[in-house]
Amino acid sequence: MTAQKHTQKKVRGFSTKRQNITGWAFMTPFAVLFSFVFILPIGWAIYSSFFREISEGGGAYGGGELVHKFVGLDNFIYAATSDKFWTGVGRVVLYTVIQVPFMIISALALAMLIDSYIVKHVTGFRLGYFLPFAIPGVVASLIWVYLYNGQISPIAKGLAALGIPVNFYSGNIVLLSMANITTWTYTGYNMLIFLAALQAIPHDLYEAARIDGANGFQIAMQVKLPSVRGAALLAMLLSIVGTIQLFNEPQIMQIADPGISKSYTPMMMALNTSQGSITPSGDGPASAIAIVMAIIAGLLAMVYIMAERKVNES
Amino acid sequence: MSTVQNAQMTDKQRAREQARARRKAERIRAKAAHDLPRSMQPSKPVVGLTWIILVFALLYFLFPIYWAVIASTKSPSELVSTNGLWFAVGPGEIANAVAKNYASLLGWTQNRFWQWVLNSFIYSGVSAAVGTVIAVMAGYATAKFDFRGKGVAIGIVMGCMLMPAALLTIPQYSIFHSLHLTNTVLSVIIPCSVSPFGFFLGRVYAQSSVPNELLEAARIDGAGEARIFFTMVLRLLSPAMVTIFLFLFVGAWNNFLLPLMMLTDESLKPITLGLYGMASLATFNEKGALMMGALLGVLPLIVLFLGLQRYWQSGLSAGAVKE
Amino acid sequence: MNTRGKHLVAGVASLAVMALALAGCGSTSASSSSGSKDEKVEITYLHRLPDKEGMTKVDEIVKKWNAANPNIQVKATKYAGEASNMMKKLEADVKAGTAPDLAQLGYAEVPEAFTKGVLEDVTAEADQYKKDFSAGAYSLMQLNGKTFGLPQDGGPLVYYYNEAAFKELGIDVPKTQDELLASAQKAAAAGKYIMSFQADEAGNMLTGLAGASSPWYTVKSDKWNVNTNTDGSKAVADVFQKMIDAKSAFVNPRWEPSFDAALKDGKLIGTVGAAWEAPLIMDSAGGGESTWKVAQLGDWFGNKGKTGPDGGSGVVALKGTKHKAEAMKFLDWFNTQVEDLTTQGLIVSATTATAKTPDAWSKFYGGQDVMKELVAANNNMGDFNFIPGYSAVGAAMKETAAKAADGSGKVADIFSVAQTTSVDTLKNLKLSVAE
Repeated sequence: MTAQKHTQKKVRGFSTKRQNITGWAFMTPFAVLFSFVFILPIGWAIYSSFFREISEGGGAYGGGELVHKFVGLDNFIYAATSDKFWTGVGRVVLYTVIQVPFMIISALALAMLIDSYIVKHVTGFRLGYFLPFAIPGVVASLIWVYLYNGQISPIAKGLAALGIPVNFYSGNIVLLSMANITTWTYTGYNMLIFLAALQAIPHDLYEAARIDGANGFQIAMQVKLPSVRGAALLAMLLSIVGTIQLFNEPQIMQIADPGISKSYTPMMMALNTSQGSITPSGDGPASAIAIVMAIIAGLLAMVYIMAERKVNES
Repeated sequence: MSTVQNAQMTDKQRAREQARARRKAERIRAKAAHDLPRSMQPSKPVVGLTWIILVFALLYFLFPIYWAVIASTKSPSELVSTNGLWFAVGPGEIANAVAKNYASLLGWTQNRFWQWVLNSFIYSGVSAAVGTVIAVMAGYATAKFDFRGKGVAIGIVMGCMLMPAALLTIPQYSIFHSLHLTNTVLSVIIPCSVSPFGFFLGRVYAQSSVPNELLEAARIDGAGEARIFFTMVLRLLSPAMVTIFLFLFVGAWNNFLLPLMMLTDESLKPITLGLYGMASLATFNEKGALMMGALLGVLPLIVLFLGLQRYWQSGLSAGAVKE
Repeated sequence: MNTRGKHLVAGVASLAVMALALAGCGSTSASSSSGSKDEKVEITYLHRLPDKEGMTKVDEIVKKWNAANPNIQVKATKYAGEASNMMKKLEADVKAGTAPDLAQLGYAEVPEAFTKGVLEDVTAEADQYKKDFSAGAYSLMQLNGKTFGLPQDGGPLVYYYNEAAFKELGIDVPKTQDELLASAQKAAAAGKYIMSFQADEAGNMLTGLAGASSPWYTVKSDKWNVNTNTDGSKAVADVFQKMIDAKSAFVNPRWEPSFDAALKDGKLIGTVGAAWEAPLIMDSAGGGESTWKVAQLGDWFGNKGKTGPDGGSGVVALKGTKHKAEAMKFLDWFNTQVEDLTTQGLIVSATTATAKTPDAWSKFYGGQDVMKELVAANNNMGDFNFIPGYSAVGAAMKETAAKAADGSGKVADIFSVAQTTSVDTLKNLKLSVAE
């Protein structure tokens, strides 16, 4: 990534061979487990994306067994030409564009405020902000399903009493309602990452700045912000990747809004295809959907990185 | 222990850092010179505004949890018919209401609730500990050594972050099964301990917090690589490790699909599996008891976070961390 | 340099040893649990019964069996996830050879399970127990003339209503379509609903209501004939469309909290529901004593007094089981434990004993013998069977129903979507469909 060129200075007095051995020695435990948990299953997914499970023998019920049939690129063609799939992709891209910047900026702002020493005793805030991250995703969504309900939720009732009746499930608002759940869950977590980066800045750096007369705001903008840039860009990138895989929130919000389809997001479509609630079903089409989606996510991430570089250069 | 070497290095390091800080401060001073001089103490409105923002944000984050606490004392019909902001029963009867939902929770979980919490703790703790160490080792390796295939390795790991992890659960099940590992503790711990994101955090932090000069100095002093890593680098990376540990811990704690596929023994289940099981049944009505289970299940996480708070705050190695 | 390398290698090696040691523990415990000795057989049974506080737990029932049958030891496990997940797991388990001997499946899932190669033919072993179950339920465990397990419970659709609230409005349980529409209109004028249109249950309830008059899926000369636009479907679409247009049906989803709230605050005073919803409606409406009642469906959709299925399940034998006879012997015993299974909220398919209405139920349902009413409905179901891959059809119906509920679509669309999705599903599975 971008930080690479600054820190990747050659370590002096260190032969290539030794670097090879030592590097791999440190890398091996992770690499072994990683291959086991990621590479092998992904290989399996790619392999199975060229097959479909169909029943042999035809008839009304088939032969009582599904057979693996090689179908070439059929599954990929299916995914790439499916309206449902592209609608889902459009939806998560829109979701990402709205939710991610909002969340990252909020998290960054909160981290900077907490780190600013304007307010002392920040432990309570820090813990409070992080708490939602510890609530299992499904439970969090269930809580919000109640809090969005017009007849039950104190929030909805309160808003209605103020003369602003909001239907959290209507039309496009439902996407924002979902985005709110994601924001609620992950803002505190991102804030902690930024806070860790902020606290890694040597104290004497801004002590010096202070002595030299820079005010708090200037320190924040000129010392702190550049220092957490790397962390912020990474968080942004990971959030983009995360929201592209949006799954938990819509899955639970289906309880309240059956209009949220089984293919509402590509990830939902993939899992539901694999579990048989979308036809054609099975691991073949599901893997193809997942692979096409991973490629799209990769392209988006690359676009983001390139755009980010361009902005930096200018 | 190589305290002498450490002391030497931190001295060198400190001198270097101070020089760097001085340069930076000069730059800032140059810019600030044009501004009006201000007092170092933040003004009253600034403090007030900060408080308002922080408290407002706190309300936003805590309100749903507050609601869940209240909800955990209610029966299914009270949940929908009484004021969500307050208990449905008088103060004298809250204990009874809690006991009733607690009994219902234990009933649904077949009295295994606390066993499942303990299981979760073991799975999350072990996988997070192992995962943190291997992630930091790998991150350090890619940040500080030029080894063959490094670029490819980084590319693959990063690419895997784009793969929806839940979809890998089914192939993982097949693979673990062929190794006779399903329905064992390992089938949950191994997948949970590998995190491409953990690797990236490790790498980014190693890049920014472990100065090359420090490594060079240590090598010149004749320290072995393993020793350098375990005595110095890990210490420098401790704030990063706490972050990765927390991330892995929470991730493992909240994982549901994986144990659902892998485990069949009741005694091996983690708590989320039990809770999700409750929630996903169409005929499940006791949402209050579910909220109670969720909150009780989250308690260990909160305790853990409070415990680790000290490490975050200490800025243990912050003094030695490079910009 | 060498020593450094050794340190590191030693570290990695110790990690590996630890991993191996852990792996060792794991695999031994796994293998010991599935061993069998001499004539003693062990049957594993995966269920998803509620096992709630106050019910007779599955483990307790099984314990009785185990005590009386030392040679057929049963181990029951509760599956904690969703039904769709379970099918996926069973598929993987069967492929891996680790499937349990018995598993609970919804009737709508049985054909799918067969097509996916999950079921074991137990025709010979199960036949002797046929007399213990209602014929309709038993036939749901059969495909192509083969039997794959024994039925456990049924989910006939019935009508739940609050008698006192009805009297207040001066209405009775409607007997005809016209009466239904008129009474709904009258209730709506008073801000109450006597019917609900549940989009999230569309794939179960609407199918069941339409299925009360005639089946959708028939097999002729080994080919599927699919017709989801039967007269029954049209009548269902027509009635619900009129009620939605007139705003005389409650249109919130069944599993959203506001449905419970509407029951609790007396806004929703009547609804069609599956038999297994009797205790749920009781809980949601606050329990205790009330004037709620259970009635048979009126002749609202050309169903001529018949009802249709919504849910209900049987227990199947899974492919690879080595103890078919023993498994069926246990299963027949288990599925006929009428009293115990009733506590789990089941309307049992067994005909060996009369199920008693639990005390709490008769209190809530104004002293009515609810179980008798539900059993009557169970024996009055129209013939209806499902196609392999029905879950995709149900999912598509649900989405379309949501549009009908908010007015952006029509109820009739639900049945057209069912038609296209059914045909697509069968074709994608490469099964034969008559066009």
